[in-house]
Amino acid sequence: MTEHIIVIGGGGTGAALAYDLVTRGMRVSLLEKGEILSGATGRHHGLLHSGARYAVHDPDAAKECYQENQILRRIAPFAIEQNDGLFIATDEEDREYALRFLEACALCGIPTQQLSAEEALALEPALTPNLLFAVRVPDATFDPFRLPLSFLAAALEEGVTLDRFTEVTGFLEKGGNIIGVKARDLRDGQERELGADLVINAAGAWAGEVASRAGVKIPLQPGPGVMVALNGRLTDMVINHLKPAGEGDIIVPQRRLTIVGTSLWLAEHPDDVETPPDHVERMIELSSALVPGVGEAKIRAAWSASRPLLDDPRWHDDPQQMTRSFRCFDHGELDGRPGLVSLIGGKATTLRVMAEIGADLACSLLGRQELKSHTKERRLPPHRRFFHQLGNAGGAA
Amino acid sequence: MTKQEEERVRVHFRVKRHRPDGSAPAQLTEYDVSLPTSATVLDGLERIRLEEEPGLIYRHSCHHASCGTCACLINGLERLACVTTIAELEGEVITVEPLPGFPVEADLVVDMVPFYRDLDEEWSSLRTSETSKKKSPPDDLKLFSRLEDCIECGICVAVCPAAAEDQPFMGPAALAALNRQLQNHPEEEESLLRVAGNERGESLCQRAIDCSKRCPSKVSPARHIAELRRLVSSSNES
Repeated sequence: MTEHIIVIGGGGTGAALAYDLVTRGMRVSLLEKGEILSGATGRHHGLLHSGARYAVHDPDAAKECYQENQILRRIAPFAIEQNDGLFIATDEEDREYALRFLEACALCGIPTQQLSAEEALALEPALTPNLLFAVRVPDATFDPFRLPLSFLAAALEEGVTLDRFTEVTGFLEKGGNIIGVKARDLRDGQERELGADLVINAAGAWAGEVASRAGVKIPLQPGPGVMVALNGRLTDMVINHLKPAGEGDIIVPQRRLTIVGTSLWLAEHPDDVETPPDHVERMIELSSALVPGVGEAKIRAAWSASRPLLDDPRWHDDPQQMTRSFRCFDHGELDGRPGLVSLIGGKATTLRVMAEIGADLACSLLGRQELKSHTKERRLPPHRRFFHQLGNAGGAA
Repeated sequence: MTKQEEERVRVHFRVKRHRPDGSAPAQLTEYDVSLPTSATVLDGLERIRLEEEPGLIYRHSCHHASCGTCACLINGLERLACVTTIAELEGEVITVEPLPGFPVEADLVVDMVPFYRDLDEEWSSLRTSETSKKKSPPDDLKLFSRLEDCIECGICVAVCPAAAEDQPFMGPAALAALNRQLQNHPEEEESLLRVAGNERGESLCQRAIDCSKRCPSKVSPARHIAELRRLVSSSNES
């Protein structure tokens, strides 16, 4: 017998999870209430973290990022601009922080290369002349739509059933167990019921709403932030400010754009989010200190995305301190709702390993812990295969 | 960081609603929403879905003209909803309809499968960054790379008079991508030119140039097609 798993949420996590589960031999249905990748995933700035950003204050996240960075470069090279990144120091405070930074990167196994101001400017002439020195790290830029789309393409190819524009409106229950979902296709209004051996809530910033439909509370906090895309490619490498993580400390080149960000605040509802103009100004001001050309470039777009943060009330006044890590919640164990799991939090860079750990839990709950993940080794198909697969399926998805 | 309140305006939208099962006739439905003055048409659709019509569906992802999903017809012109601001549009009403030339799934959602029919999945998605030559990338990187310009939004196909849904023309996006593959991989010239010169290839282009005019990503498909035409014709002569 093949177990049937429903994954709720067609973002980066759901895409990688569906792919991981189907390659272990599970039967998988993926439901997404809107267009695929239309939540936080696609709106991401595209930074493939080297882990260096987290090395000082969150070494576990840093190691995980570095490991995933190396894996994604290998399995999805077509979606990644592999140009590395620089952390640049502009004042004495940065210089002091650099000592801790280099030591922490070394402890996490993240390779670094120190560059003099002259060496860094030869690589990236657009950097501020106030630059003291720079550290090269293996950051990269990925296409925030195409990389997860490749996971979806692979998932479809392996037999995952994808239903876009299909919203989960409730859960099917039997004796307290979750045994499936009620779903509505927004295209034709049709309601249907879909049974499953396990339901996994991977709805990102919307996971709190989904869980509430099963009467379960999860500590999910939507944490929107502003990003700004500027016309022109000011650098080829990712540029970071060599200081503790904060807002406006990252410049990510992508195609012929330069993306700067980000801010962070806490929101009630993941969709009720606008793009405050003072945040836009502040992102530009802060990143102009790293690359002065940012201040003169024309704005192509400014937007917000709700990160799915694991809530931590200690940091409500300083949300930058909240972890960017992820967690699996087994609602059978936690809330007496067997059959439902939530997989929330996390970063785009770690989507694959987050899916692997979620799928490990799913397999162990189904008594199939012998089934192991294969996603680390297999090269993903280019993103266009997603549409070729949809076409093969008669456009039924 | 605190958020500053921005000046707001009431915006009147007319959005094409369409149900594929025929349960309701396709029609323009009116919505009135309050938006910040800097809002885009996509921000407007998001606000309509949040406050007025939770069942409204449309394609969107990156919100910064990089994924190509939100192309639609806005006040009669094919453009990306995420970078079309309400301030730049003239008139009292903003009318949003699905991207022409593709089958409509529902509301503003079109089926993009036909767009990919002639786009080979292996054709290059990365190229050498133009700025590479002015710099000295580290030895182990050799040359800096970047993603190709085309975001596969479908606008060039939507505006092409030769690429209507029932027409055989492979269309401007596929030919531009083919020529970029040729530029990146000259060793594949023979097989690529055979595709470009086939009965659905460059010869069907009517030279309207709308593809280049409307492309939001400056791909200039018309220029690529002109180049292919020259190459195909000289390879036929030789």
